Parts: sequence; structure tokens; C-alpha cells
Amino acid sequence: MVVSCVAASELLYRMNKQIIILYPKNLCIIRRISTTSSQWHVQPQPRARSAPHHLVGVVGLEIHAQVNSNTKLFSSSPVCFSAPPNSLVSFFDASLPGTLPVLNRRCVEAAVMTGLALNCTINRKSLFDRKHYFYADLPAGYQITQQRQPIAVDGMMTYSRLEGKKGSQVIRRNVRIKQIQLEQDSGKSLHDDVHSQTLIDLNRAGVGLMELVMEPDMSCGEEAAAAVRELQLILQALGTCQGNMSEGQLRVDANVSVHRPGEPLGIRTEVKNINSVRYLARAIDYEIQRQIDVLQRGGTVQNETRAYDSKSGETIPMRDKEGLQDYRFMPEPNLPPLIVYEDNASLPTGIDACQAVVVQKIREGLPELPSVKRDRLVQTYGILPEHSFTLVNEDGLVEFFEAVLKATKKEPRKVIGWVTNELLGHLKQKDMSVAESPISPLALAELLELQETGHISSSVAKQVFQEMWRSSDKSPLHIIQEQDLGLVSDATQLHKICQKVVDLHPDEVNAIRSGNKKVLNKLMGLVQKETKGRADPLLVRAILQEKTS
Amino acid sequence: MLSLTLKQVSLALREGRISPTELCRKCLNRIKKTQHLNAFLSVTEDLALKQAQEAEARLLQGTPKGPLDGIPFAVKDNFCTKNVKTTCASRMLRDYTPPYNATVVQKLLDHGAVLVGKTNMDEFAMGSGSTDGAFGPVRNPWSYAAPYREHAGAAPDSDWVIAGGSSGGSAAAVASFTSYLALGSDTGGSTRNPGALCGVVALKPTYGLLSRHGLIPLVNSMDVPGIMTRSVSDAAIVLGILQGLDIRDSTTVPAPSPLTELPEDFDVKNMCIGIPKEYHAPGLSEETLAQWSHVADMFERAGARVELVSLPHTQYSIVCYRVLCHAEVASNMARFDGLEYGHRSQVDSSTEAMYASTRHEGFADVVRGRILSGNYFLLKQNYQHYIVKAQKVRRLIANDFKHVFSSGVDVLLTPTTLTDAARYYDFTQEDNQTRSAQEDVFTQPVNMAGLPAVSVPTALSRRGLPIGLQLIGPALQDKKLLSVAQWIEQRVGFRSISEYGESSESKQLYDENYKCNLEKVRNGLKVFS
Amino acid sequence: MSAFRLFATRAFCGVPVKSVRPSVNLVTNDEQLCLQSRFTAVTRLFSSRPHNSKVPQVATWEPVPQDQLPTPPQISADLVDKLERLALVDFRTKQGLACLEKAIQFADQLHVVDTSGVEPMDSVLEDRTLYLRDDTVTEGDCAEELLRLSKNTVEEYFVAPPGKKKTEYISFETKVLIIMTVHYSDDE
Repeated sequence: MVVSCVAASELLYRMNKQIIILYPKNLCIIRRISTTSSQWHVQPQPRARSAPHHLVGVVGLEIHAQVNSNTKLFSSSPVCFSAPPNSLVSFFDASLPGTLPVLNRRCVEAAVMTGLALNCTINRKSLFDRKHYFYADLPAGYQITQQRQPIAVDGMMTYSRLEGKKGSQVIRRNVRIKQIQLEQDSGKSLHDDVHSQTLIDLNRAGVGLMELVMEPDMSCGEEAAAAVRELQLILQALGTCQGNMSEGQLRVDANVSVHRPGEPLGIRTEVKNINSVRYLARAIDYEIQRQIDVLQRGGTVQNETRAYDSKSGETIPMRDKEGLQDYRFMPEPNLPPLIVYEDNASLPTGIDACQAVVVQKIREGLPELPSVKRDRLVQTYGILPEHSFTLVNEDGLVEFFEAVLKATKKEPRKVIGWVTNELLGHLKQKDMSVAESPISPLALAELLELQETGHISSSVAKQVFQEMWRSSDKSPLHIIQEQDLGLVSDATQLHKICQKVVDLHPDEVNAIRSGNKKVLNKLMGLVQKETKGRADPLLVRAILQEKTS
Repeated sequence: MLSLTLKQVSLALREGRISPTELCRKCLNRIKKTQHLNAFLSVTEDLALKQAQEAEARLLQGTPKGPLDGIPFAVKDNFCTKNVKTTCASRMLRDYTPPYNATVVQKLLDHGAVLVGKTNMDEFAMGSGSTDGAFGPVRNPWSYAAPYREHAGAAPDSDWVIAGGSSGGSAAAVASFTSYLALGSDTGGSTRNPGALCGVVALKPTYGLLSRHGLIPLVNSMDVPGIMTRSVSDAAIVLGILQGLDIRDSTTVPAPSPLTELPEDFDVKNMCIGIPKEYHAPGLSEETLAQWSHVADMFERAGARVELVSLPHTQYSIVCYRVLCHAEVASNMARFDGLEYGHRSQVDSSTEAMYASTRHEGFADVVRGRILSGNYFLLKQNYQHYIVKAQKVRRLIANDFKHVFSSGVDVLLTPTTLTDAARYYDFTQEDNQTRSAQEDVFTQPVNMAGLPAVSVPTALSRRGLPIGLQLIGPALQDKKLLSVAQWIEQRVGFRSISEYGESSESKQLYDENYKCNLEKVRNGLKVFS
Repeated sequence: MSAFRLFATRAFCGVPVKSVRPSVNLVTNDEQLCLQSRFTAVTRLFSSRPHNSKVPQVATWEPVPQDQLPTPPQISADLVDKLERLALVDFRTKQGLACLEKAIQFADQLHVVDTSGVEPMDSVLEDRTLYLRDDTVTEGDCAEELLRLSKNTVEEYFVAPPGKKKTEYISFETKVLIIMTVHYSDDE
């Protein structure tokens, strides 16, 4: 019922941009939503556990994604993660008087690409504005952004979560994207408390950012984390942003409030300084709980900005005089309107084709998005959706998986477990990435081949895997030979061992003879114990069956 | 030599009658002699001589870079000049030396022109008298010329007249023969106003035709680099070199066509000259009115059609300008905080405190006042009421012009200023804002609409001071505009200041050519009679 | 003398004559004075000419009368304080208030203009499209040049006084840099 509801809503969405949000499960409560342009109402589904007057969280996100480009948004100085201080700064970035902004085409293309991938409407004409405030890392005293008319609006992103026991259920949810706008990043100020001064490095000042605003359609930390994770995957697939939160390429601020379902939204707070997806979930959950506590104590929630402290796990108010701030937005006079064209046919005469940004061309060039990829993997390889989810979620794992498949005849459904459990499990334990795996796809394929062709049993295979992990230079074959783990298929030897077991366990033999076939497994187990798991199970079964018939 | 036009002296250089270094030295000496005008904030003597020597070498080799090779020029001190102090006449940038050249400056240098110095102005181009700079006011060279001295009678130092603003230094430099061309900036008339008061040709090209890269902005959506020269054909030469797309300035437009020489015998017979009735504004002097009328007559006699037209929103233009100007000023001045460049206060307790005191120490009252009111208009609660309203009025003003030009009018003829130059003493009785409001009334509607306009000196007033008239044309028709301006120039017979000589104190300025040419002139006069 | 009179008459009677502009100084002292008086005579003659019919003889408008303007809003000292803080310029409050009120009163003249149905114009370039630049590096790498312009720098950083702290993410590498910088300064 859940799945069909979501599918229907997506269909409706695509038909006429009416947005229906469903929150089909336990912790998350369905709210009545009406869009500004229509009066669609969603009937609330019966809530699983909470009573109607229970406070619930409402979470929106403000995400700043650094555009993956060679040069900055308005100047052609380089974009690079680490470099000597102020070495990536042009005259314009330092706000030297008389310098003027010149827009980078790559940033526009990146914004359009991202907008298309998130099902946004691309504004044919968008405008730039100045947002004024004083801060040491903002040399011009204003930031150039797109407040009046951003480049993309009204999108929607579907994200998935793994739920249920063992994370075996894939739940899909939607979040509306309010808008995507291009703006400048600020420099970095480093507080040197020892000398009571602030060191300013403008390397980052002027780098292109896409600000994505996600509507408050999420209700808890997990959802927000899953949404951000999906966005990261999308941006990485597009190549428009590297999405690394710890390097500051993706920055997320959460807008959190609580309310009783059906009632107007509560006062919201902004939570900043979140440096990973994990912390995001924790910070949001903490803040929701904090607000609930405040309200239950009879207090009121302040409209303020709070910082997340990862050490204590708490959010702390920042010294911010929000009420006295006024950004005094003003059109940026040095930048005429930005026009993007729908297709080549709508290009005005005289305009250079490589000068213009053509939406159709970008749409046609979009790479495979994560959701499409997941579906494709399920279709192509017959693996389960949750496996597909895990594959796509981990950087490089799909490639690893497909490389293994190429090198072995084994069925994908049999390979997937090795990749998502054994391999991934070990990687996670050691906090390693797929790229750092000591076992290569070919090596794993070799191991699986050996198992498939009966050289070793499955339990031995696992042992060999461990050994391969420890000593990555040794091939599976080498290890098998070295430790004599090969499958014992010598009939005579097996007969001897089986006979021994049969002789030692007359009661069991009798049980089998009288119809209890399941006891055979026990005997098999004993034989395996004797052979240290190296006996060919099929052969053993056959011999035992013969002996006990 | 010094009183020649650019075109004439360029010819003299190529014919070897004078060398670039000699010419450069003459100008530098002249600058020293006219120091009392306070037209220059910095004189780039060494640089100029070096450039002159290079020009000389090129001339000797027979490879001059064009009509500007070896020609001394001056630049208003709000254009960035590499390694040359650029102050905008403000304490804020008193010691600021930019690491790059403004595009228009670079173009002139690339054509071999010789930079003699940076000229004085109103602080950050705010003002219409060049009296509000941090390094003193500019004096109008006509204050020392015989016509004014005869009239005024009193000692020159007590009742000298202003040069107009905010590019007063540039106008004074061209008018006092220290350079053959000067760059100014024009936001509300800042080039045309001093041009008219100092009796030189002042062109404000179409918005976007000249690059603003390197021009320290006042109002980005209205600023245009202005060209001041001694003749209209000089202005055309310079425009031809400076116009064109600059990828460093996203507000530039491609030049409509390369500017070839202006036609010598331009025919106005089939032209329609518009006289906007609202340009007889309160305070217009009788003499300026008479000039306006006289030139209108000239056109009619030559067969042109002179029509009364209307630009109904003219009187609101100054209000609209004030609001939009202050808002942009508030924004553009936000970068001056002392952190990366410019003046920095010693106050160290916090970043905010340092910024605030740097800006207090660096900006004069005029600037601070505008920043304050600009920020007021930009506040969220006021934005619709003032800024958007002003933007709507701006459209009405631009539409007024569009309407007139699309109904058959080729150019508009108007006064440039209300009167001739005021005495410094009188001018400073009113505050900067009020003065600007009055003085800019004819010039700033043009900036609102982004159209080209040129001021041409036509005659001297009773007080012996120049009066100029303005021509306004449709966008990107700068060439036609200049052709009409040249037509006027050829017929009004405005005499250069050199023809009047100066009061006895500074008479020796012309001694070099005096004696040898006197004979020639006397002979010439004999021929006439 | 006579020659000059001829010249002057021809110039000022509206007959199109291309004035010969002498490139050198024309006159002696005596002749100069003559020129001067001739000039003033000509000017007087000139200003009594009949007026061109197209040029309006009197001013065609008046400044907006005071009573048509709205009453100037009361500006609280708080608002001036807020403005001074947003703009970071102080303006010796009483003077600031007066100056601001004057500016607002002047700006209020806008409201007598009927702008119904008019779209705001924020730039004359609204019909132009923005130039888009290639994504190639052509600037940067001029730290020395930039730092030279500032009055207070440390190593390769601009230096500001301790400001209001925005909780800023500082990566591990940056923290190391700070420590290194601090140590370096300590060594001096």
C-alpha cells in the first residue's frame, strides 16, 4: 500500500507539479499539506503509535554545495582544497575597488544539471542580487547571490531509507526542493586566541556555491540524513559537486521546529556547524527533543541560530542578533540577467552556440542517477532492492561488484552476499573505503570460482577470505594449498570417515532408517568436523545416504 | 604648442616640429606653473618621461602607434593606475596604489599616450563642484583669465570660481593646457558639468560602450568614463580607441561600428533638433537661455527642423537619481573596511569597532551621509516604498527619451548647467546635496537612461566665464551626436583661453611663442584690413 | 582693429563660418584690452537678440510644493543606531538624524508621480544577456601583491581584530596551520 501510494504521488507530481507528501510509517506522522497553487489535501493515514497531541519534529534543510569547477564563480582564480593562504585570490576576490564580476559558464551548467536531476523548473531568466553584511571573511561587505529569481525552483527529490529488521525494507520518501541558487562562498577566518586576532584566508572567497533549500518535509534526523546522503550521491554522479562534508564541499544547516500535527508550524531554530551525515541525524534529533522538552516545561522556543557541538552532542545558542539584521538586498548592477535557452532552436541569431547554456543539451547529457542505477541493478542482476541500495550507497562498490561478475560464472545473486556482507563488513570494521580494499575484484572472483567448482566448501571459502584480507599478496589458490584447505573428494577417504561416523552413532543411523531424514544433517556435521570442513558436502551426503539406507 | 588640439599636436609630433619628450616636459612644466589650480593630485613625472622617450623612439623608427602616440593625458583619480597612487580624493585611499590599470587607461597607454598625472575631484565622485575632496578644491583656470579678471576686479585668490564637478581636475587640466585629453567619470553629469564650466568639450558616451573595469564606482548602473578634450574631433578620436566590449566588464556592449573620422561638412538640413521644454528649469540664467536660443536659431537657419518636445518626468529625475545613487553608494562603499587595503584605524578591540572607526576616519561627512541614507532606503521596510518606486520613475524617464527619439527627433539640444561657474565662496554656502540637486538637473536624466551626451562650449558669459550647451542622442549613436556637436563647434567660434591671455601674474606662461608669432599675426591682420 | 570687428560680426550673426582657430597667442597687451572691450560689446549685443520661438522663455516647472509632500516620518534614534550599525558609519547622531530626515523628505517627492502599471527598471541593460566566461584559470597566485596593500598582515594572512565568532568549521589541516603560525610568531 505504501509503495503504490508513493508511485501514484510521483505520477501526479510529474503530471502537474502538484505535490503530495506521504509519510507512511511509524515515527513519522502524515500532515495535511496544501500547496500554494492548489488545494490538494492528503488524508492522514492512521498513525501507528503516537497520540494526536504528541509533539513531532519538522525538519527543513539549507544545503550549500561547492560547485566542482576549475575556477570561482565570478573570477578566474583557481578552486582547490588546500593551497598556501591567499594564493588562490584574484583582485576581484579581494574586493579591490574597480573590479567587476564575470560569471563562470561551468557554474551555470552545474546548477542547471543539478536542477534537472532534482526535477526542478529551470528559470529561463534569473537574476543576481547583493546581500549586505559585515564580516571579516566577506571582503566586499556583501555577497552576490540570487534572492529574487534563482536559477531553478520547485523540484522534488526521492530518497530511500533502509528500515525493518536487518534493514531489509527499502522505504521511499519525497522531499520538495524549494529552489537552487548560485552564490559566492566566503573566505575563512581562523581565530587565533593566543594573539587575540583573526587570520583571514580568502582562498575560498568567491568559490561558486549552489544553495539548495529543502522544504520542511522531513520529520527526524534519520530522514534528513538519508535525504542528504541521496543528494550527495546525485551530486557525485552528476559531477557538479564532490559532496565531501568533512572537507566543507557540502555544508548542511537544519531548520528544526516542533508542533502538534494539524496545528501551525512552531518557531524554528537553525542548527549549524554539522560536519557529517551522522552528526546531522544526531544534531536534529537532539534539537527536536530539546524543543519538545522546552515546550513541555511550559517555555517557548526562541527563533535563533544554534551550533552543534559534536563532543557533547548538544546544540548551543550562537551569539547572533538575528532581530537586528537586515540584509538590504539590492539587484547586482554589474550583472545583466542570466538567460538560459531551452533548445538550440530558441537561440537568438548572432549568439555563439558555445557561449550559451542550452537546457536540452544538458538534459540529454545527464548521467545515470542513483535511483535509476539502483533499479537497473535490480533488473539486470536480479538482486534484492536492499542490496542494490547498499551497493549504490557505497562509493565504488557497484564497480567492484560488476568487476567480480565479469570474472566469474557465478550468479549475481550468489555474489552479492559476498560483496555486501563479507567485503563491506570488513571495510566498515576497519573504516576503509572500497578503493582501499586489500582484496581486489579479481581475487574475490577467483575465490568464488574455486568455491563454485567445488574445490572448497562455503565455510572454507569464508576462512580463505579472512586470510586473503590479512595477507593481500597471497592468491586464494596459494592459501588453499598452503593450508591444505582443499575439498576432500577422495571417495575412499570419505567412505572411511563416513563409515567411522556411522559406526560411532548407531542411534542416529537407526533414526534415519526409520524415516527421520533430518538427522542425516547431524551426521554430516560430524563428518565435516572430522574433515575440518573440507569434505565435499554433496559426496558426503550421498555416501551417508547410501550407508544409512 | 600647448594650446593646440590633440589632432594638431599629433600632426606636429609626426612632422617632427616637436618631440614627445619636449612636449612632455612642456606639460610637466605647465603643471608646475598652474599648481595654484590644484588640478592634479599626483604628477607622474618619471613615468611620463619614460613613456615619452619610448614614444620618441617609435617615432624615429617610423612606427608610431597611432594618433595618440606621445600625447600627454591626465586621468581622474578614481581610475586605477598600476603602481600610481589612486585616492578618489579621499583619506580612505590616501596611500592606495592599485596593482592594475583600468581598461580605458590601459588602452590609452597601449596607443602610446603619456600619463602625466591623476586629477583632483570630489571625494568618491560625490559632488558637482570638485570642492569636496580631501585634498582641497579645484580652481577654474578661467578665474585667472583676462575676461573674468576684468569683470571681477578683485585679487584672484579671493574670488576664484569653481571648476565644476566631480571631474573638475580633469576639466581644469585640459582647459589650462597641461594635457591634451583627460578622462573623467560621469554618473550624473560629473564630466559634462566641469566641461561646460571650464570651456572644454566633454563627452559622456552611451552606457556600456566604454569599459568600467578599473573605474572605482559611484553608481554602477549609471557610471560611464567621460572624455574631455579641446575639440570635438579629438573626442571622436579618443572614443574610437576606447569603445568596445571588455570581457572583464559584463556591462559592456560591442561598439556599433569602428569610429572613423567625423565628417568635415556634416549637413544638418534634414535633421530634427528637439528642444525639451522642461529643460528651462528654475534658476536657468538669462545668458545660458540666450545661448540655447542662439544655437537653436543657427540650426533653423541651416535648414534643420527645430521642434519643441516634452520630457514630462524631468523634474523628478533628480529625486529618483538621489534615491538610487545613495542606495548604490551605500553598497559600493561597504568594501572599505581597512582590512585588505586603504586606510586602517588603530582601534583594535573588535572587527566591528575597527571597521566603524576606519570608515569614520576615512570618509568625509558627505560620503557618510549618503551611506546612511542609502542604507535607510534599502531597509526591508522601505525597499518597496523608495527603491522600487524610484526604479519605476527611472523607467518613466527612460521612456520619455525613447518616445521622443522614436518620434523623429535626431538629437536634443539643452543647456548643460544652470549658469556659468559660481564663485567658490558662493558655492560653498549651500551643502553638497542641495548643490548637486540644483546643478545636476540637466545632466543626470541622461545617466538614468544610459544615453550619450556631449557638452560643447559656445560662448563666454558677461562675467567672462564659459557657457556650454548639451546635445543628447539615442543610445549607441555617439558618432552622429559628435557630428552634430562638431557642426555647432565650427560655427559658434568659441575661443580658447589662450586667446585671452591671463592676468599679469601669470602672463609669462605664453612667452615662448609670443614674440615669434606676433609678427605673423600682425601681418595676418594687415591682410584682413 | 577693424579686422577683428569684421571677424566678430561674422561669427556672431549666425552666418555659418568655420572659425579659424589660431594656434598661437594672438594679441599684444594693448590689443588684448581692445579685444576685451570688443568682446563685452558683442556680448551685450548678443543678449538682446530676439529669442528663438522653440526655446521656452520662462521656467516650465516648479519644485514640488511642500504641502503636496507627505509629512516626514518620525525617525527614532533607535533606527539611526540600527542604520549606523548596519552601515558601520557613525554620524554624530543629531547631525545624522537631520541629514537623514532631509534626504527622506527630498525622496518623498517621488510619491507625487503616478507609476501605476509601470515595471521597475533596475538597469538599462535589462534586455542584454550576461556574458559567460570559460572555466579556465587566468588569475590568482598574487598573494604577495595583495598582502602588500594591507596595513596588517601576518605570514600570508590578512589580520583582523577578534570579531564576533561565527562558529566556523576548521579542518584538521587548518588547525595545524594555526598552530604553526602561532609558533612561528612566537619565535620572532
